[in-house]
Amino acid sequence: MATAASLLLSLFIWPLLTRPAFAFLDRGDTYRRKVSLELNPGLNSSHTAPLGVINLLHVRATGNNDTLHFIFCSQGAPAVLLVHTNSSSSSLKVDWLKFLSGNLSGSLKIEPENSVHYSSALVFTRLWEYDDVNDTADPTHLPPSSFFPPYELQNFTWEDLNRTLNYTTHTAQLCGKGPTESFHNGSFCLGFSAFESEGRGPTWPRLLHNANASQVRFWLKGVTGRSGFSRFVLELQHIDSKELSSQVETLRSIDDEYTPSIFQVSQWVFSPINSTSPILGYVQWKPVAYRTESPVLNDATPCRHSHLMPMDQLPASDLVLAYFGDGYSAHGLNVTFSIAGDPFYNATDYLSWTVLVGLGSPPTESFSALVIGIMALGLGIPLVLILLGGVFVCVRKQRSVPQGYEPIN
Amino acid sequence: REWALSDTDISSERQSLMDGEGDSFTSRDGGSSNSMLAICDPTRLAHRFVVLLLMCFLGFGSYFCYDNPAALQTQIKQDMELNTSQFMQLYAWYSWPNVVLCFLGGFLLDRVFGIRLGTVIFSILVCVGQVIFAAGALFNAFWLMVFGRFVFGIGGESLAVAQNTYAVNWFKGRGLNLVFGLQLSMARLGSTVNMNVMGLVYHRIWDWRGSTGYSTLGVVLMIASATCVFSLACAVILGYLDKRAERLLNKEEGKTGEVIKLSDVKDFPPSLWLIFIICVGYYVAVFPFIGLGQVFFIEKFNFSPAEASAINSVVYIISAPASPILGFMVDKTGKNILWVVMAVVVTLASHMMLAFTFWNPWIAMSLLGVSYSLLACALWPMVAYVVPEHQLGTAYGFMQSIQNLGLALISMAAGGILDSRGYLFLEVFFCAFVCLALVAVVVLYFLNLIRGKGENWNVIILEPFNSHFLF
Repeated sequence: MATAASLLLSLFIWPLLTRPAFAFLDRGDTYRRKVSLELNPGLNSSHTAPLGVINLLHVRATGNNDTLHFIFCSQGAPAVLLVHTNSSSSSLKVDWLKFLSGNLSGSLKIEPENSVHYSSALVFTRLWEYDDVNDTADPTHLPPSSFFPPYELQNFTWEDLNRTLNYTTHTAQLCGKGPTESFHNGSFCLGFSAFESEGRGPTWPRLLHNANASQVRFWLKGVTGRSGFSRFVLELQHIDSKELSSQVETLRSIDDEYTPSIFQVSQWVFSPINSTSPILGYVQWKPVAYRTESPVLNDATPCRHSHLMPMDQLPASDLVLAYFGDGYSAHGLNVTFSIAGDPFYNATDYLSWTVLVGLGSPPTESFSALVIGIMALGLGIPLVLILLGGVFVCVRKQRSVPQGYEPIN
Repeated sequence: REWALSDTDISSERQSLMDGEGDSFTSRDGGSSNSMLAICDPTRLAHRFVVLLLMCFLGFGSYFCYDNPAALQTQIKQDMELNTSQFMQLYAWYSWPNVVLCFLGGFLLDRVFGIRLGTVIFSILVCVGQVIFAAGALFNAFWLMVFGRFVFGIGGESLAVAQNTYAVNWFKGRGLNLVFGLQLSMARLGSTVNMNVMGLVYHRIWDWRGSTGYSTLGVVLMIASATCVFSLACAVILGYLDKRAERLLNKEEGKTGEVIKLSDVKDFPPSLWLIFIICVGYYVAVFPFIGLGQVFFIEKFNFSPAEASAINSVVYIISAPASPILGFMVDKTGKNILWVVMAVVVTLASHMMLAFTFWNPWIAMSLLGVSYSLLACALWPMVAYVVPEHQLGTAYGFMQSIQNLGLALISMAAGGILDSRGYLFLEVFFCAFVCLALVAVVVLYFLNLIRGKGENWNVIILEPFNSHFLF
């Protein structure tokens, strides 16, 4: 009787509690793509290069019957262009003469043009720095006098991508310096990674990616702050078709295994205005930034984002102006790092943040095998014991012969 | 502290009331046959009430200061620049001396110091420990803070033994249950006040000094040590009153009566080892969790620090009234093992709720508070049922010893896990230990069923429970 009661209790509790967690048990995405990288395709010595290096990285990720193109370029403001075609043989064509001379419109194409299914771009436009004397970490409520002149990323000088390009791990690192003294010993870097299949980044925040995603990691290293109370804000712009609606949402996530103490994930999603249609593309990140290169829990600092602001014109990124024509608009977003009470930038002179840019719906977190294993064992063993014990006791009760009358001898 | 009385005990209690309150030779309003004021007369209720107050406040400082780290987690980690693993050492080092001291507490109080001197000595240790802890913060020396917690630990647990012995000595046969209940309530009041107040005190001192940092922390901890000084004063006055009562009434000095024989360990039955496993598995999922709870509620549920501290103290708030009531219920029904099963299952549910859902954590913490009280009322008396009386002291000492060992180890492990793998994994880790306790109690249940002892555990306990980690 009591056995039955406890069995019932445990069977009742198990589904009630694990139902919310079932969403995390999905074991993932096995879709694979074949990734190939090429730097400055079609550029030869006959094209006269302007000042600085040309960094145009073309990543081709071929699937079964579609291709995902990522183009990462530092001309103007650094940008990541994502183009999805439904042909497995589409290619990038760059008219270098037009592109390098400044006559950008139409100089970059993905051919065949009618196979292009979706295209968008994420541009890093400005880095704002403000003087947070009162330690509020709330730039929206500060007077304009607290803000230093922003760093316009289109005016930065970038290093040669060829030196950091890795064809096996499909990664590249773009570092640049601004025109001011603050960048004397430091740099603003963007680390681009493309992926063939599902996986997780090696360092925090260890974002979950799949074959339809690319990751951009932004970090500031050694840049001197212009005040002792400096904090930074990164301005991003995203270009997509005028027919799509974009919105930013912050979702709660119960799994913080890979980003300890961060229980949220932010995503900027783009879908057709008819809201029942599936999401076409996304930019996803965890609202956390890290203050050291090999961070421990104490080095995590939360970050917040602003509302989306529609922009009047496309940003000053050569890649964007070369590819997108009419029918595309830009939305801007500001990402503010740190909260009140956290150490200022000059405590470590380092700040890093990671973002995922991809096609389709954003990846959803899942529990690690260890967590699932421990819970399965932990809940399973007592249940099994209760069952076995219950069966054993019932069997024993059946077997014991009722006493009845004893013979009087 | 909770203990159950059998019917024979109650009748013997009535007999011992002969020399107590309502005597025939002294009139109620302090009449002519007695020249002392009621409040000075050790036989009168008024005086015993004063003694009761002193006894209750004896443990207040120790309980208040035990959870100082939990109430000031963010501040300690920030001001002393610690990671969670180092922070949890402040708890681990409280438990380490008690792995050994559980066996020695009774001996020291009975044979070496005597109850009065022993109480004062342990109170001094509590006070000194807390002061060293605060000094470590003032001088930015973490090792000194850890040493302070170590000294604090030596005094804290043994003080609980002394407090109980005083209670038995003064109130046996005169509402001892009520006294234990009151002592427990005062103790948990201390814990609750600490959780809710220390954050505010820190903020005040920060405003006053105009800066944060380890010196602010040191000042705040010194202020907390005032409660220990207060408890020390109570210990001294209590010692004086006890000595005076001994002189006036020709009473004997109180004894703990604990007999520890380590050779008895080999005779412990399997049921007792299972009870040990339940004890360890359960408590390591409660105390370290409370230690780390405040920041968990801030980060996961977006509570403010004040709200997070309040919810962290819910377990203690509930434990104060719930323990006597649940103790009474467990006594009446007698089915200890089933209550233990229920307590463990409810705690498991509570931890899973906190881990895997965003449901309002007040629910989970309230459940945790009730199940924690229920387990204490049901589990500790079970020990007396499975070992003979002459081994009871050793069994309890052993149980507390491994409980402290488990707490010391798991406190540090919990800190390390949080630093590397986050709160979800930490909660899963705690769930695993509660599941271990569940396995042990299920095995114990069937073992008990098969041996035919039935489900009736009408327990006769004559041993008060002496530990900070019980209720």
